[in-house]
Amino acid sequence: MGDFNIFHHMPWSSTYSIYFFTIGISAALFFMSTLSWYREEFRPLRASAFYLSFVLLAISGLLLISDLSKPARFLNIMNPAYLNFTSPLAWGGLNLLSFGAVSVAYFFMMRKNDEGTSRKLAVLGSLLALGLPIYTGFDLTVHQNRPVWNTPLMPILFVALSLVSGAAVASFLAGGKSEKLHVMLRRFMLWSAGAVGAMLISLLGTTAYGGSGQELTFMFMTSGALGGIFIGVGILLGTAAPILLLLAPFGRQQGGMMLAALLLLVGGMALRYSILVGGQIVQTYF
Amino acid sequence: MSELRLSSIETRGVPGKKRYAMVIDLRRCIGCDACMTACKAEFDVPVGVFRTWVPYRVVGTYPNVRKHFMPRLCNHCDDPPCVRACPVGATYKVEDGGFVLQHYDRCIGCKACMASCPYNARFMLPKSRTYTDITSVVDKCTFCHHRVTQGLAPACVVTCIGRARIFGDLNDPASEVSRLVSTLPTQVLRPEEGTKPHVFYIGLDRHNSEFGRAVYSPLEVLEEDRQAFNKNHGA
Repeated sequence: MGDFNIFHHMPWSSTYSIYFFTIGISAALFFMSTLSWYREEFRPLRASAFYLSFVLLAISGLLLISDLSKPARFLNIMNPAYLNFTSPLAWGGLNLLSFGAVSVAYFFMMRKNDEGTSRKLAVLGSLLALGLPIYTGFDLTVHQNRPVWNTPLMPILFVALSLVSGAAVASFLAGGKSEKLHVMLRRFMLWSAGAVGAMLISLLGTTAYGGSGQELTFMFMTSGALGGIFIGVGILLGTAAPILLLLAPFGRQQGGMMLAALLLLVGGMALRYSILVGGQIVQTYF
Repeated sequence: MSELRLSSIETRGVPGKKRYAMVIDLRRCIGCDACMTACKAEFDVPVGVFRTWVPYRVVGTYPNVRKHFMPRLCNHCDDPPCVRACPVGATYKVEDGGFVLQHYDRCIGCKACMASCPYNARFMLPKSRTYTDITSVVDKCTFCHHRVTQGLAPACVVTCIGRARIFGDLNDPASEVSRLVSTLPTQVLRPEEGTKPHVFYIGLDRHNSEFGRAVYSPLEVLEEDRQAFNKNHGA
């Protein structure tokens, strides 16, 4: 409608974007810890990446529960009589719980130095970790009336964002411990940021050439305050600049890589926020 | 030939089942907001949220202008995205009647149903209410399920002074809604979403119901209204 006497609010607040950010990093860090069983260069990250992944998982769970208007009822999502498997949130809840359970088991097996079981749990945990960004992407994709969200790109974009943010955090954890690890993390950041960039170009294209809702959403996301966050911070400062930095000779040094990692983290948060909010603005006017 | 049914929860053409629908004749709506008031009274709907609402747009060029009203409510879709989206089955569709209802005791307040509704028909109840302990869960229009199951029409229909709202069973070919839908050109909101709504409009102009460029650059006075509304309703 053009004129208004009733206004609507965005259902999903920015808390969700923080959740997307923390759970994405948690998943990627667990993956880094798993890699340490198969690639020697990741060995220095095995414990530290896992511990941070676990802390972030706990924070993510608390964020998700605190955003519910009935936080005490979060247990309903574990009630088999209530679960509705047509909802990605139901799958996501189960995915989160199983990832948490595997993480706890992995912790104890690592403490026991049981290498065989730890290895198996690491692989299982990595598969569950992969499910986390995929389900968060599906959370958005399934809403057919939401511009930007309703695209098959979203789960893949969230996987790439998870990898890029996780690799950025891992590069801080790694510090200057190993030259080989340094090289691997730089590659991780470079390739996943490149994938994010390619998907964002595609997303902008389909949004700009979409229907009236998409077109208006494109206008909101590329101008004003949200445009500053999405284009300025998310794409230019948080994706393009770190890619260029990592390609430059300075980006191969530790200082350059740290700077790129910091920019990628800021960009990752900005992109998640603007995608979450951008998909909701136009609907508030309907 | 049987009707195309794409979803197992659709009640379209199911023998022996009722399929309630509302026809809103926009030519008759005078924008008195009596429907909103009746609904508020029927359900003790809190301040700032609405199960039904009547937005308007001023159309035409001065001096030939008029207000175009478009009463809105939950569309009780045949294939409701909110039912799909709810992780705990708090939102469900009643097979006989097609009502889309809410288990208040199950709702966890994740707002997935609100995000999935193309019609903004759902809202969050406030943390405290005077006459009921149903708080902090998502609520919506029920098509006055409690009245309809007792043979009464919904409160908004009964109170409409212009008889702009007509309610009945679409599966009954003799009902007034069936006759109107089959004999007059009707439209539903956002048919492209595939929700198969059960609220039909006579005289709906999509120029007035869909997003316009005005969304991007709203009149200053409307933006002030919006800010005032949000300020007073906890946004």
